Amino acid sequence: MELKDAMEAATADLDVRPGFVGDVMTGARRRHTRRLLAVTAVVALLAGVTTGVVLTRPSPDQPTTGDARLTAATSGDLSGDSEFIEQTLTVWNNAQKQGWRSYDKVTDFTAPSNVFWAANTPSGPAALVAQAVRINDQPESHTVVGLVAGGALVQREVDYGQQAGLFRFGPDNSTYVALGLGSEVYWSVNPVRGPDRRLTRTWQRAEMGPGGVAVVTAKPSERPVFVRGSSPPAAGDFTREPLRGEFDSRPERAFVPHPGLGWSGQECASDAPSGVTWPGMKPASPQSDLQKAALLDYLVAWDVTGDWSVCAWLPDGRYAMVFEAYGEVYGGIYRQDGAFNAHLLGGPTVKGSPVVLVLPDGQGTLVADFEARIGPQERPHAWLAPAGTKEVPVRHGDATKVVQLG
Amino acid sequence: MQDFEDFVALRSQALLRTAYLLCGGDKGAAEDILQDVLMGMYGKWRRIKTSPEAYARKALANTAANRWRRRSRKPEAPFEQAVTPTTTGHEQQVVDADSVVRALAQLPNKMRAVLVLRFFDDLSEADTARTLGCGLGTVKSQTSRGLARMRELMGEQVLTWN
Repeated sequence: MELKDAMEAATADLDVRPGFVGDVMTGARRRHTRRLLAVTAVVALLAGVTTGVVLTRPSPDQPTTGDARLTAATSGDLSGDSEFIEQTLTVWNNAQKQGWRSYDKVTDFTAPSNVFWAANTPSGPAALVAQAVRINDQPESHTVVGLVAGGALVQREVDYGQQAGLFRFGPDNSTYVALGLGSEVYWSVNPVRGPDRRLTRTWQRAEMGPGGVAVVTAKPSERPVFVRGSSPPAAGDFTREPLRGEFDSRPERAFVPHPGLGWSGQECASDAPSGVTWPGMKPASPQSDLQKAALLDYLVAWDVTGDWSVCAWLPDGRYAMVFEAYGEVYGGIYRQDGAFNAHLLGGPTVKGSPVVLVLPDGQGTLVADFEARIGPQERPHAWLAPAGTKEVPVRHGDATKVVQLG
Repeated sequence: MQDFEDFVALRSQALLRTAYLLCGGDKGAAEDILQDVLMGMYGKWRRIKTSPEAYARKALANTAANRWRRRSRKPEAPFEQAVTPTTTGHEQQVVDADSVVRALAQLPNKMRAVLVLRFFDDLSEADTARTLGCGLGTVKSQTSRGLARMRELMGEQVLTWN
């Protein structure tokens, strides 16, 4: 066995613990703030010594960030409606414990809030509010921006350095409020798949109103995508970073069903050839590889991809990775060195039915059905049927159904 | 800094694998040093001119070396306490995976780092020397001795390298 293969085998199933990314971000921000404070304190002390001033009180009590939205005059066609603005602030201040993600532990909500935009929208009057807050009792302050509409708090977003600045509301979740944040916002709906199976999108600039706020109407079923920048993506460009509002995140509740076929994790339909392991340093990324080829749409909301995936080593030494997006089967074929080789586009997924995907170049047919025993050897969950296989038994407990392969 | 968060989300698994080998198979220590390195990168993110991944690997190698220098003053934890990830698949693969980590754990820290960077991270001898802050000759000699030692430690198992 090669040393590299042995090392890769030793680490193949290694992954970071759940919550690792959040722990890193929280710790990193905390450490960075401590450093900044230490530097600030040293500078202040030196300045004090130099000028002979004795520093007695280090900082004001209320959080503040210097964000212009905290003090900006209200813009929008309801800016003169003092009653609506007052109602908005009442809703905002009464909802101190609502609308936060679990990692946003707001511990200081005492700074004044400011309505910096109030306007009529297709889904009724709405307002954007900004406030400086402290999180986790940390000394630094963050600006939180939120949307109030229909007499209720819709969403909040804490500015940790890069905001999405995108809010969604309305009876059918079709009204979007996008912040320009000094750039243009472009949006697109209804991607079109051409005869070559590649996708295109038509982009339009969101019309910025007063205060640099745009209101856009689009139904969720139209797959709206927003990007911020100085120019729109090209029609066949699916690699730009889309804006992800808080509404696109996985809901924070005890039980969230797995999207797609309803199961999660990766199952392999065949064993690796002897002495060969998964390429550890070049992890396959079929989603981005397919997006680069304009074969897969922007993946914005958490639930547009299934939680499951299937891998398979192919008879010719390549391997395949298959997953679900927008209710359809996608995948990529990779060479042993991890280089992307070919794309796979399957049909729609049907919950409760096996995934069946014919692989190109006579590499067989992939059949997957979670918790089933598949094929003559009753391989669990997934099996790569050799080319020429006509039918595949799929057994769940005592019930066996036979999948006919063309 | 969304790009930093994306980097952490996308590359933590790969970096953890390197850290795991650098720590001789101690997953807890590997996660600790990876978290420490990533947290340290946050404040410098805009100033990192090289590839962030290369920067992280260099920091991991140095942090692991320092950790082992510190730990060398204390009794070493037996390898059996180290968490070895479950390796699915062929039985032989489990044996190989286990023994390569056991063997790595018995190497001196710099020798282990050289082998991990050269053969797992595919760094050249020059890049390995730059990463570890040592001379090219040191990398060559450590590689040669390290591979010979790995052969001894892995006993009957056939271990080759390119």
